[in-house]
Amino acid sequence: MISVTPKNLSAHNVKLDLNNLSPEQVALEIKNLDLYYGNKQALQNISMSIPKGQVTAFIGPSGCGKSTLLRCINRMNDLVDSCKITGQIKLNGENIFHRHTDVAALRRKVGMVFQRPNPFPKSIYENVVYGLRITGENNRRVLDEAVETSLRSAALWNEVKDRLHESALGLSGGQQQRLVIARAIAIEPEVLLLDEPTSALDPISTLTIEELINDLKQQFTVVIVTHNMQQAARVSDQTAFMYMGDLIEYSDTNTLFTTPRQKKTEDYITGRYG
Amino acid sequence: MNNWFKSGAPWVWLSAGGVSISLISVLGLLWLIASRGLSYFWPADLYQFEMTAADGKNLTVIGEIYDRESIPVAQLAHLELNIDPITKTIERLLIKTGNRELVSLDFRWILVPQINETLLPEALVVIERRTNGNFYGYIDDIILDGQSVSLDKMPELLARVSAFQKQIARLQSSDIGAINYQIERARLQERKHKLDGTLTDELQKEISSNVSKLQAEYQVLERQLLVLREQVARDQIVVRAMDGQKVNINLADVLQVTFNNQLSFFGKLKLFFSQVAAFVTDDPREANTEGGVFPAIFGTVLMVLLMTVIVSPLGVMAAIYLHEYAGNNALTKLLRIAVINLAGVPSIVYGVFGLGFFVYMVGGSLDQLFYQETLPSPTFGTPGVMWSAITLAILTLPVVIVSTEEGLSRIPSAMRHGSLALGATKAETLWRIILPIASPAIMTGIILAIARAAGEVAPLMLVGVVKMAPNLPLDGNFPFLHLDRKFMHLGFHIYDVGFQSPNVEAARPLVYATALLLVSIIVALNMTAVSIRNRLREKYRLLEH
Repeated sequence: MISVTPKNLSAHNVKLDLNNLSPEQVALEIKNLDLYYGNKQALQNISMSIPKGQVTAFIGPSGCGKSTLLRCINRMNDLVDSCKITGQIKLNGENIFHRHTDVAALRRKVGMVFQRPNPFPKSIYENVVYGLRITGENNRRVLDEAVETSLRSAALWNEVKDRLHESALGLSGGQQQRLVIARAIAIEPEVLLLDEPTSALDPISTLTIEELINDLKQQFTVVIVTHNMQQAARVSDQTAFMYMGDLIEYSDTNTLFTTPRQKKTEDYITGRYG
Repeated sequence: MNNWFKSGAPWVWLSAGGVSISLISVLGLLWLIASRGLSYFWPADLYQFEMTAADGKNLTVIGEIYDRESIPVAQLAHLELNIDPITKTIERLLIKTGNRELVSLDFRWILVPQINETLLPEALVVIERRTNGNFYGYIDDIILDGQSVSLDKMPELLARVSAFQKQIARLQSSDIGAINYQIERARLQERKHKLDGTLTDELQKEISSNVSKLQAEYQVLERQLLVLREQVARDQIVVRAMDGQKVNINLADVLQVTFNNQLSFFGKLKLFFSQVAAFVTDDPREANTEGGVFPAIFGTVLMVLLMTVIVSPLGVMAAIYLHEYAGNNALTKLLRIAVINLAGVPSIVYGVFGLGFFVYMVGGSLDQLFYQETLPSPTFGTPGVMWSAITLAILTLPVVIVSTEEGLSRIPSAMRHGSLALGATKAETLWRIILPIASPAIMTGIILAIARAAGEVAPLMLVGVVKMAPNLPLDGNFPFLHLDRKFMHLGFHIYDVGFQSPNVEAARPLVYATALLLVSIIVALNMTAVSIRNRLREKYRLLEH
């Protein structure tokens, strides 16, 4: 077994019973979720509760469905023509797959950061306020304030405050990724989805982002997909191990990495496959 | 040898050869039309040839050397020339002698062996006139108010006359033109009310009082015009042609008097530029064979701009639909193939379509609905600048659609996802992210469309171009932009001047000059579009991941 010490365990020594959360503690509730790409089933009967104000990590080998599951939460899978979903995901008690769900409004509540930094070819300022402009906010004071708060929350303010109106494409990869995070939190979502946010970054930028994730959970529920087990161990409170479209094991990070209940989990975290 | 072949060097040579041939063709084309076209404006030396004709008579020929060629003596056997039999070929010169009122032809060939003496007299003058072409000869006298004055007064007199001419032109085109236009509108208004059955007595009275007021104004202007015409007609110059005949030329008819043989290089240069400027800014004269091409430049540019305004939104919207909204199925593929094939349809077919559909059907219906008062003379039911622009827009539509689609498909999906994940709808994403990033590709499409449209002539001949348009499509009369009017076009002008004019030989340099102008205008339009595109590219440059 690899030696990992979940560093935030001491800060969050209140262990949650993931099978028995009270409604106020739940941010997202996934119930019997099946997902098909055409005829191929990519997710099988996933049920789990993601607690509020914590970091939940999805780990597992490539193609296990962890990114697919993440993309269900803000319905990015809608963009895939052949994708079919059954089951439920409840956000604040409401099923997001309901016919009358306003997908744009859902995505404002569930922000997402992708693998590769994808800033728009606009200024840093315009990148951050993009989501607000979409909602029709054009008041200069409100926008200025939002830019400062979100960039501060994304630990980028000090680096860019003097060049807010320069192109975002001039930033380094790590800065771009933090800008994208700032852009996502500027519209104050409830949940923040991070899809392997550091896989395209160098170790130092990775470290910055990991520290940032730790701060972000003060305000948001964070769900992170990572192929890096150490990262999951470092940043998350809960970890879900997925394999071939199944949710194999879901428990608090410390337990999962030290005393896995399932054989498959143990094989994976000890590096026997994946 | 085998090694050389294997090294790939032959392919490098072959491809480099391809590039060289293209480059040489382009430069050769530009060089030919530029040199031929620009030499038209360069003040030529004026020659006086003293020669003996075949029948032994002496004669004088005055003019510019226009062309020279060597011809075999055998071809001239019928002239029974007294030429050394050893010479196989002799040289002959084409002389532009002008003086159309004296001889019917502007040009004559002379044989070099018959020339006794070639002179470049300083006193020789070329007079550019409004009618009857150039006059070559000597100035004998200048008559001002019936009295002869010194030659030095010439520039002053010319300036005075040209000021008068300008006044006359302004009176004719703007003031009198505007009154005529208003009278015509009043007449149409009356007719419209009559047709609608709403013509009351008061209205009738109002309109006719309006018309009589306008007519009174018209008469005042007409009197002014007469006075000016008299003013302008009183001065004359007396010139002596090559055969000694004296001709009186009214100064009103004179555009320019130049002593080419007295000019220094810089004097010629100055004259050259003023001639180029006149060519670009003046109206054509003498059935388009002389004067400038301003209406044609204006028509070409206006039509291309109108076309751009029509084709850009249409093409972009079609591309957005095909790429963003239409499902990725057989029907979409079929549509795409159809669009690409549209680009291959011969342009004259678009002309026929434009005439049949736009002019007769759409235009005819528009006339029935909105311009009943002018019928049976059509307003939009006849070729015009709007129909030309629309026809060319249809013709260039595929180009814009294809390059816009290409631009859209090059945008990384991360951009779309990033925007959608922030709660933007598809339309918002398109409008705020996708279109700005695709704008350089859209500009590329527009550049190609402009390049294609500005060079098209064939369809325009059916849907709006004329040899001589009395009015520009844009003027000072409300509603200023007259989309129903016919217009002149440089491409058609080249064809008309080069092949349809009564004096093809004289018009040849004009063909080159007009071609050069057409090329320059297309290049200028393209460069503008290219620079806009480059700025957009710089702005929306995506980092290479």
